[in-house]
Amino acid sequence: MNRKSYLLLMSPGLVLLLFFLVAPIIKILTTTVITPQGLSLSNYTKFFRDSYYMAIFVRTLKIAIVTTLFCALLGIPTAYFISLCGAQKKKILLSVSVFPLLTNSVIRSFAWINILGKNGVVNSLLLQLHLIKSPLNLLYTDFSITMGLIYLFLPLMIISLVGVMDNIDPSFMEAAESMGANRVRAFMKVIFPLSLSGIIVGSVLVFTGSLTAYTTPQLLGGNKHLVMSTFIYQKAMTIGDWTGASVIATVMIITTIIVIKLLNMLATKLDRREKDGN
Amino acid sequence: MAFMDLSDICVSYDGKTNILKELDLSVKEGELVSLLGPSGCGKTTTLRVIGGFIPPVSGTFTLDGTDMTHVPVHKRNFGFVFQSYALFPHLDVRNNVAFGLKLQKMEQSLIDTKVNEMMEICGLTELSDRFPKNMSGGQRQRVALARALVLEPKLLLLDEPLSNLDAKLRISMRLEIKKLQKKMGITTIFVTHDQEECFSISDRVAVMNKGKVEMFDTPENIYTTPTTEFVARFIGFENFIDFTKLEEHTYKAQDGSLFHTDVISVKDQCKATIRPDDIKIINDVNIAENSITGKIIVRTFLGKSYQYEIHTRLGRFLVNGDIEDVHKREEIVTIYLPSNKLILLQS
Amino acid sequence: MATRKNTPLTIIAIIVFAFLILPLVIITITAFGGENTIVFPIKSFSLKWFANVFNSETFVTSFLLSLKLALLATVLALLVGIPAAYALARHWEKGNTFLKSFFLSPTLVPGIVLGFALFQFLIIILQIPLFIGLLLGHFLTVLPYIIRIVGASMEQVDISIEEVAWSLGCTKPKAFFKVVLPNISSGITSAFMLAFINSFNNIPVSMFLTGPGVSTLPTTLMNYIEYYYDPTVSAVSVILMLATIAIMYLVEKTLGIGALLG
Repeated sequence: MNRKSYLLLMSPGLVLLLFFLVAPIIKILTTTVITPQGLSLSNYTKFFRDSYYMAIFVRTLKIAIVTTLFCALLGIPTAYFISLCGAQKKKILLSVSVFPLLTNSVIRSFAWINILGKNGVVNSLLLQLHLIKSPLNLLYTDFSITMGLIYLFLPLMIISLVGVMDNIDPSFMEAAESMGANRVRAFMKVIFPLSLSGIIVGSVLVFTGSLTAYTTPQLLGGNKHLVMSTFIYQKAMTIGDWTGASVIATVMIITTIIVIKLLNMLATKLDRREKDGN
Repeated sequence: MAFMDLSDICVSYDGKTNILKELDLSVKEGELVSLLGPSGCGKTTTLRVIGGFIPPVSGTFTLDGTDMTHVPVHKRNFGFVFQSYALFPHLDVRNNVAFGLKLQKMEQSLIDTKVNEMMEICGLTELSDRFPKNMSGGQRQRVALARALVLEPKLLLLDEPLSNLDAKLRISMRLEIKKLQKKMGITTIFVTHDQEECFSISDRVAVMNKGKVEMFDTPENIYTTPTTEFVARFIGFENFIDFTKLEEHTYKAQDGSLFHTDVISVKDQCKATIRPDDIKIINDVNIAENSITGKIIVRTFLGKSYQYEIHTRLGRFLVNGDIEDVHKREEIVTIYLPSNKLILLQS
Repeated sequence: MATRKNTPLTIIAIIVFAFLILPLVIITITAFGGENTIVFPIKSFSLKWFANVFNSETFVTSFLLSLKLALLATVLALLVGIPAAYALARHWEKGNTFLKSFFLSPTLVPGIVLGFALFQFLIIILQIPLFIGLLLGHFLTVLPYIIRIVGASMEQVDISIEEVAWSLGCTKPKAFFKVVLPNISSGITSAFMLAFINSFNNIPVSMFLTGPGVSTLPTTLMNYIEYYYDPTVSAVSVILMLATIAIMYLVEKTLGIGALLG
C-alpha cells in the first residue's frame, strides 16, 4: 500500500494514543519535576530519603519477588505435568488454569478474605483442632497480600510455561535418561534450560503484575498496610496530594521498566549461552 | 505494432538498485511467451509490472494501443495466477471461480452458465463444492486458472504456476495450459526457471539476466544459436573459447590454432561455444584445423554416452563420446570441433 | 506422549490445581448460606443472597454499566485496531516495529498509573464526563489485545489473495472486506472475547474514574466489601463465574480454547 493509505489507517489509533495515553503520562512526569523552586528532582530525593515511603517501596519489591519465586516454584512442575498429558487431559487442565485468569480479581482476592479472616476457614479449622486459643491475625499483612498475589498470578505463570514446554521434543528427556540421568536430574539438565525463555517471560509478567497490582493489596492489605499502588490511590483520592501520587507513580513506572530490561538482558544472555552450549 | 509492449521499463525498490533496467519486451497477440532465467533475474518483477502490482520508475507499458502504465490493477482485466494459487480459503470452488463475475454485477444465470462452462473445460465440475484446503496441488492450480480465464482477460499472466507440483503432474499440466491457451487464443506470459517446461510449450522465450532480456526468440533458435554467453551457459553449453577474427569464417584461438566456422561474427573479438555432444574424439592427428590435443582427466558414465573432461592448451573441454569408443583416464586424445557446430556469441 | 507414572510430579500438580480451585469453591458454597455473615461451611441453605443481588439497584446498574462499557470499548478498539493491524501487516515501513510496540504500550503502563493519569488529565483538567473518560480508559486497556491477536491473524493471511482479488476487478477497500475480513474472523472473535472480558474485569482504571451513578461492577463490589461482609459478594461472584464458564464453553465449541490464551 502507499504511504498515504498507511498513514490514514494508522492515524486514528495514533491520535487517540498520543492524546489519551502519552499526554496524561507526560503530565504526571512533568508534575513531579516542577517544584516552587523551578525544575528539579527534589521530589524524588524527598521520596528516597523518607523512611515511611521507602518502607512501602521495599515492601512492594519484597512481595513482588517472593510472589514471583513461588509462582515459578509451583508453576514449573505444574506446567511440565500439563505438557506431558495427552491432548484431552491437556485441554481440560488448561481450561482449569485459564478459568481463574478470566475471573475478576475482586472475586479471587475476596476468596482469601474468606480463608484468612478472623472467622475464616483457616482460623475456624485451627480453633476446632485446638491448635490455637484465639483467632490469628492473618489478614492485612505482607503474608496475606503475598498469598493473594500468588493465587492471582500462578495461572499466568503456568500458561506462559506450557506453551514453551510443549515445544520441547520429548526425545530429549528420553535421551538424557538413557544416558543414566534419573528423572529429576534429566529435568534439571534438559527441560529446565530449554524452558528458560518461558520462565523469564512468565517471571516478567508476574513480577510487574505483582509490583503494580491494586485490587489484591487493597482487599488483603488494607489502608494501614500499604504497597505502592494502594499508596498512590490513597495519596490521590483520600489525601489529595497529586504531586505525591505522581512521584510514586513515576517511581513505579521506572522500576517496572528497569526490571523488564534487566530480565530481558538475562534472557538474551542465557539464550546465547544455550546456543553456544548446544 | 506489437499487441503488448514494455518499453524502457525501470523498476527499483529503494531508489538505488535497479531490479529492471530499461527492459524491452514486445509480445504478439495470441502468443505464449515465457520469461526464463535464474532467481533474481527480474522475471517475476516483470510479470508483476505487467500485472500492475509494481509501478515502474520509468518506461511505458502499452496494450493494444492503450497506455496502461498507470492503470490500477483492478481496472486492467488481466488474469493472474500466483505460484501459491491464492485461492480464497473461505469460498468453495464454484464461488472462487465466480468471484470476478460477481463483482461485475452480472445476472446470476449468466454467471452460472459461464462458471459451469469454465469448470467443465478445466475438469472441475465434480469439485464445485470443495474447499481449497481439501484439494490437491493440481486441482487448486486448475481452479486458479479457471478463475482467471472465466473473465476472458486480455492477458494471462502465470507466475511459476507449476513449481509446486510433482514432476509427472508438471508435464501433464503444462500441456493442458498450452491446449487451453491455444483454444482460447489468450496472449499469455509465463514465468519459470525450468528450461524444459518453458521450451516445450512457448512460442517465444525471453531469457533474462540481471534485469534485462538477453535473448528473445523461439525455443529452437535459442537452443541452436544462442547469442550471448549467459544464454549459452544457461541452456547448457559448457565449452567456451576466445576467438580473434582473421576472416569472416576463419578465427584464431589463444594458442594460434585456426578454426573455421559456418557462422560469422560481427565483432573482432568474440567467444565460441560448442556442445559436448558435437565434439568428436578422433584418431587422425593430421587434421590441422578445428582440433586440439589434450589429456582426459575425468571420465563419467552418462548412460548413453561417456563424458570426458579433457584439459587442453585452450582450457577444459567437456566431450560426450560414443559408448562403443571408450577412452581411458590420462589418455592423450585429439578432439575435433566441426565448423558447422561452432556457435559464435555476439556478447 | 503418554504420561509416564511420575508420582511426585502428579502430587505437586494435584496440590496446585486444588489450590487454584478450592478458594473459588469455598466462595460458591458460602453464597448459599442462610446466616447473616459469611460462614464456612454453611450451616443452613438459602437463596436470599442471590435475590439480594437482583433486587439491588446499585448492583444491577453497575452490571449494566460494565456491560455497556465493555461493549463500547471493545467495538471502538476493533474499529481503531483492525485498520492499524492491517496497515502494520501489509506495509513495510522502517518505523513498523516501533509503531507496533507503541500500540502495545498500554500494557506497559500499570493500571493504577493509567487510572490516575487519566483521572488527572481527563476529569480534572479537561473536565470530560466520567463515562467518556471510562470509555477511553478501557479502550486503551483493551487495544493491545486487538493489535496483537488480529495482527497475528492478519499475518497468517497470504497477501496474494488480496492481489488476486484486485486482478479480478476488486478495488482495494472492497478486497479488504470481501477477502481479508472473512479469513481473520476467528481472530477478530477471539480478540473481541478477550477484550470484552478484560474490560469487564478491569479495576484500577475504573476505581479512579468513578462517581455518583457511574460505577462499574467491580468497583461496586470493592466498595461493598469495604463496608459489608456478607454473602452478597459471594452470590455476585457465583453469577460472574457462571457467566465466565458459559463464555468459555461457547468459545471452546466455536474457536477452541486456544483462542482465550491470547
